[in-house]
Amino acid sequence: MWVWFAKLGSPKWFYEISGRWLPWMSGAMVLSIGFATVWALLFLPPDYQQGYTSRILVVHVAVAGTSLAFFPLMAVAGAITLVWKMKLADMVAKNAAPIGAWFSFLTLATGSLWGSVTWGTWWEWSDSRLVSMLFQFFLMIGVISLRSALDDNDQSARACALLAILGCINVVVIKYSVEWWNTLHQPASAVTIGGGDVNGPEFWVVTLLMILGVYLFMGISLILSTRNEILEREKNAVWVQEIANDS
Amino acid sequence: MKPHRRNRLALILFISFGLSVTVGLTLFALSQNINMFFTPTQVAQGEVQPGQAFRIGGMVKEGSLVKNELDLAVRFTTTDFVSDVPIAYNEASGILPDLFREGQGIVAEGSVDAFGIFQATKVLAKHDENYMSPEVKAAMDAAKLLNADESDLVNEELTK
Repeated sequence: MWVWFAKLGSPKWFYEISGRWLPWMSGAMVLSIGFATVWALLFLPPDYQQGYTSRILVVHVAVAGTSLAFFPLMAVAGAITLVWKMKLADMVAKNAAPIGAWFSFLTLATGSLWGSVTWGTWWEWSDSRLVSMLFQFFLMIGVISLRSALDDNDQSARACALLAILGCINVVVIKYSVEWWNTLHQPASAVTIGGGDVNGPEFWVVTLLMILGVYLFMGISLILSTRNEILEREKNAVWVQEIANDS
Repeated sequence: MKPHRRNRLALILFISFGLSVTVGLTLFALSQNINMFFTPTQVAQGEVQPGQAFRIGGMVKEGSLVKNELDLAVRFTTTDFVSDVPIAYNEASGILPDLFREGQGIVAEGSVDAFGIFQATKVLAKHDENYMSPEVKAAMDAAKLLNADESDLVNEELTK
């Protein structure tokens, strides 16, 4: 098991294996996001209350759900960096932050659009779900700034790992804000399997497909930027020189 | 695992635990302020000072909505099915959201006046987490109506 763990930490090994994954992931992403988009725009039934406005839920739920994955990912990667000093883990943590910031922003933007139509407001400072998500966006910006504020790479990696752990606690707050406190935002929907019921398959199958596609997009973005980082940090290694000479 | 690594992992877990407890206790202490609105029951129990600005959240009571087309004044009652609070609003200060209707959840901002009427300056519509197509909604309503009829019949049988 430890051999496998050590292997995973090798940038060269990761560069090679991720290069083999990328075409499959990209294909699956294009298929799932493409199919889900067409389905959501053309065939998703209107909600009895909100009409066609509810179609934005497909994008909003997918983006919001994915945005919650970043801080746990960064915290686990950060902990591995702190304990085992694995170079690859720190590269993943570093490159996750900007992508996570974009996902948090998109969550706020799509939610704002939805809220402006259904609630009658773009933004409510008093809603804990909205504010905790904004806090996540700011924390992401904080992690990015902290990373570039410290020159020493080991030091910035350690500081960012601690901030990522704080971000993890916030993820729990975001998730349960709608249950712990009363909010304008609705709680998470419980899906039903059979037809003819609330939140039936006609709503969640397409949403699930979009979630899958967006997670793939997240994975691909992260892999691509991490591969860049690997080449940058290992530019003096022989195997990177060979790649450079081949192309 | 090497001792120095085990120590560092323990330190990280300790810090995470400490931070969680701190954040948890802070949020618990602030929970009254984090709640977005008071319920009509809380208002009825006098948890809000007279004249204090606050938000109230509840359902628009069926049959309580009155709109004055001349001065755009809107009157309705909000309820949590335990207590009721009457609300006055004027659409001159902002059109009500499309989702606003009887039986709908709302959040209103304002304060209670001397007559016990909540003078709202802003009214927002809530929507729940249950999505349904109009066909499913119609079918469910029909089924509910049918059940109600049947239970009425049963009741009639019993009263005979």
